[in-house]
Amino acid sequence: MSTTALWRRLDHLQPLLVSMLAALGLMTVYSAHADWGRQVLWLILGLGAYAAASAFDYRRLRPVALALYAGMILLLLAVHLVGHSALGARRWLSVAGFPLEPSELSKLLLVVVLAAYLSRGERLSWRTFGGALLIAAPPACLILTQPDLGTTIVLVGVMFGMLFLAGARAWQLFSLVLAGGVALPLLPYLLHGYQRRRLEIFLDPNQDPLGAGYNLLQARIAVGAGGLFGQGWLRGLQGQLGFVPERATDFVFAIFAEEFGLFGSLVLLAVFGLLLIRLLRTAAVAPDRFGELVAGGVFLMILVQVVENVGMNIGLLPIAGIPLPLISYGGSATITTLAALGLVQSVALRRRAVVHAHQGSPRTHGVASEFAG
Amino acid sequence: MIQLGGVTPRARWSNRLVAAASVAVLIIGVLAIELAQLQVVDGAKLAGMARANSVHRIVLEAERGIIYDRHGAPLVTNSPMWNLEVVPAVLPIDARALAAELSELARITGEPEEKLATALLAADPYASVRVGPDLSQTQELALNERLPDLPGASIVQRAVRTYIEPLVFGHVLGYVGPLNDADLKRLGPLGYQPREVVGKVGVEAGLETLLRGKDGWADVEVDARGQVVRTLNSQAPIAGASVYLSLDATLQRATAQSLAEGLVRDHKTAGASVVIDPRTGEVLALVSLPGYDTNLFTHGISQADYSRLINDPDRPLLNRAIAGQYAPGSTFKMVTATAGLQEGKITANTLLSCPSYINVNGWIYHNWASYSLGQMNVAKALATSCDTFFYQVAAMVGDVTLAKYARAFGFGQATGIEMPGVMPGLVPDRIWKQLQCGVPDLNSDACRWSTGDTITFGIGQSYLLTTPLNQALYVAAVANGGHVMKPTLVLEARDASGHVVQSLQPVVTSTVPASDANLMAVREGMREEINRPYNMNYWFRAAGVPADGGGKTGTAQWGGSGLDLPTHAWFVFFAPYAQPEIALSIFVEKGELSEVEAAPIGVQVMKFYREHVATIRAGLS
Repeated sequence: MSTTALWRRLDHLQPLLVSMLAALGLMTVYSAHADWGRQVLWLILGLGAYAAASAFDYRRLRPVALALYAGMILLLLAVHLVGHSALGARRWLSVAGFPLEPSELSKLLLVVVLAAYLSRGERLSWRTFGGALLIAAPPACLILTQPDLGTTIVLVGVMFGMLFLAGARAWQLFSLVLAGGVALPLLPYLLHGYQRRRLEIFLDPNQDPLGAGYNLLQARIAVGAGGLFGQGWLRGLQGQLGFVPERATDFVFAIFAEEFGLFGSLVLLAVFGLLLIRLLRTAAVAPDRFGELVAGGVFLMILVQVVENVGMNIGLLPIAGIPLPLISYGGSATITTLAALGLVQSVALRRRAVVHAHQGSPRTHGVASEFAG
Repeated sequence: MIQLGGVTPRARWSNRLVAAASVAVLIIGVLAIELAQLQVVDGAKLAGMARANSVHRIVLEAERGIIYDRHGAPLVTNSPMWNLEVVPAVLPIDARALAAELSELARITGEPEEKLATALLAADPYASVRVGPDLSQTQELALNERLPDLPGASIVQRAVRTYIEPLVFGHVLGYVGPLNDADLKRLGPLGYQPREVVGKVGVEAGLETLLRGKDGWADVEVDARGQVVRTLNSQAPIAGASVYLSLDATLQRATAQSLAEGLVRDHKTAGASVVIDPRTGEVLALVSLPGYDTNLFTHGISQADYSRLINDPDRPLLNRAIAGQYAPGSTFKMVTATAGLQEGKITANTLLSCPSYINVNGWIYHNWASYSLGQMNVAKALATSCDTFFYQVAAMVGDVTLAKYARAFGFGQATGIEMPGVMPGLVPDRIWKQLQCGVPDLNSDACRWSTGDTITFGIGQSYLLTTPLNQALYVAAVANGGHVMKPTLVLEARDASGHVVQSLQPVVTSTVPASDANLMAVREGMREEINRPYNMNYWFRAAGVPADGGGKTGTAQWGGSGLDLPTHAWFVFFAPYAQPEIALSIFVEKGELSEVEAAPIGVQVMKFYREHVATIRAGLS
């Protein structure tokens, strides 16, 4: 197939939106006084992963899904056994001197594994439904006990959404919600002290404005202080003076919103929104059910993270350590997100060819089958 | 033919994908609405909170003016003192780290941990809270090393008044202290803040408006750790004026030492002395013993120290020089003499007898001698301090006229020296005595002025009271031709930029209606007194000081009427005789023999003055 053909199949808008987000992210990370140079390195590595994933035929992943799953579990177990801890949580593995956060990687791996598992049949039987739950449970539990509530929420959200996209019936999903509702009162006993505290503070942020409520309050103040057009890049009082905690990671949105205002925030949300729609569009044009679910899963993975991150920055949702995709500082998250988007591009490149004029032309089929490889 | 144009994407939007897209759009829409609420509707309020977070107005404390002696020797310094301050908002959020930091702060400051925690929780979270007592330099160094591990804690340095030789200068300088509720009520309208200190007694209080500087301020931007990032706007503080007292530090020391030695020699515990320049009213030395350590007050005095000072029977907190009121006794006789001469009742040559007692309406009034001293003129009567001579003069002059002369010499008036708490003393007369009684008793004997009251008034007893400062002003007036000077402790005051804002302006508060000749006759008597061989002259010869000048001793009875009453000893003196440039009063509380107890102290002060007159009189360096 010629380069022109490839060019035409490419989802042009998606890389453009991704580049915009990466650029805004880099500006914000710089403003947040994080290691800017390192973030550039992560982006370069991420772009490599994006290109590689785009070129790689996603369909080859389906047969090796079981091996991927096993690898994911092994990595998460390794974190528990030999991982590095910081701030009371054990989340990192050291790989060639670089910190690797397998929980970030597991978001994408679970998408691929669930897509492979759920694309076996058209209708979702109770058996398959239960199977999906059993697949998602071990990594979710391993991550929750790191402890990393945020990533666990992402995994559960992705699983729930993929069950829906895979055709789960309403009462299947409803029973899952019901089970969750029953389990919720048990949550305080499962959560670690600081997680429970965060939840309580979210429910009443004024009960301890100097303690755990501080982060929430300061982030809200920063966002609000941004006003309509923001205080200008590098000029946010709250962010620059360090009142916003974790300003390069969990609370990066507060930094962005303070410096770029409502105008900038709406642009950022619009870019995310467009990207999400593009991801769903790729799902819609995917040549097979596996591709559709991979694109849908990546859509969910990004949606859940954006909603939870922005939501907690503005005080709509409780605080959970979740990065804002492509904006927050961090190697594992950046590379995983770009690899995931590359994989969706791979789906787009291998989409169905609808041939109008020369249906049945062997040549055309040849092209298609070449790609089907 | 390859028709690549035929490869057209055709999206198959399933219901589920449409639903997913709708959910995404809906959720993002909710986020956008909430953002608009936060950034536009609440934006101004939250922007204000952001500014309040980071922009603080801090006070730049003005340095209080330094007090010097007349030659520029500092008598007080503003020495650095350290305090721990904590910004509660910056303390660790984690409960365990918070507890660890609090216990560490408690350990360093020696403050109970619960007290520390309570103080911090009650305070404005974004403002610095001063915690614990003043830190020693050792504590400051120890804390400074630990600061990087103690988020929110910082050390602030402030200036604390430290008085040099408080036992010598304390009663003059006084001390400063934190504003109490009464001070705040009084000084609040002048812009005083509760954190400030204010002069409480002495010239620290009397010169408060000069010494107090004008605080500046700075609007600073601080980061989340409370560190100042930059200053947005500021106004520099203006230090208080430098005040050059009229005191000579060396003469003050010599006076204090002479008085202290005299008291020890005679087994006495309290006394006072004031040395002034009779030409200007400048106070060269002002001592009250016992003194106390004024520095105890600047650091917040302990209850134990305070009750010790309050309950001391010698009353060290009382500045006897300005606030101790005592009968002047025989030192008053120059007033009686002046009145008699000026009113024409006697002349300088009038001879009156000096019997051992006189009988007035059946009451016997004794002289100090149990034998007659014979006939004498007023000068000799002063020199021998003949009581019966002055009984007669007082009776001739009358109480009302005597009171008029006493007031003219400054008796009974607070002097207006630059210190609070100055007492006026008391000049009695018949009206005063009646006012002391209730209406039903108006005509009782106790309320009616008697001739006895008049004649004892003439020797400085009766109800007459004065202070060592008034005594010095009185003898100065005798010396300078009848001018009662307004006493002053201030030679000069210069503001922070060196401009003179106050300088010595001699003020005559009252002039005695007496001729030069009459005052000269009185001075002659004072000269004779100190030149009596085998008596007062002995002290001058023994000290090697020429008896050039005039003096008068007085042993004043107190505590009622009758014989064998307790006494106070006085000595007043001026010198040199021709051109008086120094006048002094010496007071020994419970002194029994003024010639032996008070006079030698005055001679010692004079000896020092004569030996160091060149340096004492040298100008401000």
